[in-house]
Amino acid sequence: MPDWQELVRLRLSGLALDSREKEEVHAELAAHLEEAYETFCKKGLSEKEAIDRTMEQVSDWRDLQAKILIARRGDFMRKRMQQLWIPGFLALILSTAFLMTLQEVFGVKPRMVGIGQGTILFYVPWLTALPFVGVLGAYLSLRAGGSRSTMMFASVFPALSLSAAFLLMLPIGMIIEQVTKNDLSFGVVASTLLSNWIGWIAVPGAVLLAGGLVVQLFFGRTSSSRDATISGETTHA
Amino acid sequence: MIGSGIKRGTAELAVLSVLQDGPLHGYELARRIEQQTNGALRFTLAALYPMLYRMEQQRWIRGTWETSGNGRKRRCYRLTPAGKKKLSPLQREWAELFRALRRLTKVAHA
Repeated sequence: MPDWQELVRLRLSGLALDSREKEEVHAELAAHLEEAYETFCKKGLSEKEAIDRTMEQVSDWRDLQAKILIARRGDFMRKRMQQLWIPGFLALILSTAFLMTLQEVFGVKPRMVGIGQGTILFYVPWLTALPFVGVLGAYLSLRAGGSRSTMMFASVFPALSLSAAFLLMLPIGMIIEQVTKNDLSFGVVASTLLSNWIGWIAVPGAVLLAGGLVVQLFFGRTSSSRDATISGETTHA
Repeated sequence: MIGSGIKRGTAELAVLSVLQDGPLHGYELARRIEQQTNGALRFTLAALYPMLYRMEQQRWIRGTWETSGNGRKRRCYRLTPAGKKKLSPLQREWAELFRALRRLTKVAHA
């Protein structure tokens, strides 16, 4: 008898789903083929005929792969939205709103570390609040069933967004420098970039991540054991 | 030629109607549909699973892994409350369509 599991795995190897979901699809389709094959054998067909008839179930594996992906992607997009984008954007909005409130309403001034071009600005009250923002991002992701890595991404999302903005501004800044013929020395540009990176991305990112790790430490384990129980219940039902 | 919308509609109706009697795994579901329609409706694996996954997305059915008597793991599909709700208007619509077609063909043959 052919190894249907292996056959399906090979034919649908390009199925772009997460590994667990992909395994489930492979197992389910393999079980279907196996059952069809056994039915043909019971009807008295030779092994070769039974295999041929079973294989007629799928005329185009690529087409099947595409159809499965389309059918399941709706769920993938919804999960991604609930587990990453919504918690991440909420964390971003909250951290930005809190920083703006500190600056505009309370007139909080940054603490400066270093001198000259390399001065790093720290808004201490903002940094103090960021672990809670990280906790919120990770917790919302966890509640939506997010994996550990998704939880971590959701918690550091504000810092990641700033990194993206930073990367976008860098080439734009270089073009402006060229156009305005404002020749700044490499050292000045590099030290400014580094200080901004430390003050706005590295340190806030680390603080946000600390919040995410707290959630993982306290709730992550409970969630894993709950998932295991659920899986056990359905398997032996 | 029967359009894809009609085909999809009949296929969904067939799956929901058969699952109304109880949970079934994919192969058994296809077999029951074939038996109950005297072979008029046949689902290959390639036609069945994308549809089941789509119907699961729409939350009309729910699939769970279960172990059968012979120790085999199978993903069994059952009708959800949303699926039950979907089934009645779908049955009415199709009954109306078939009545209308029957009237039309009787007139045509008269």
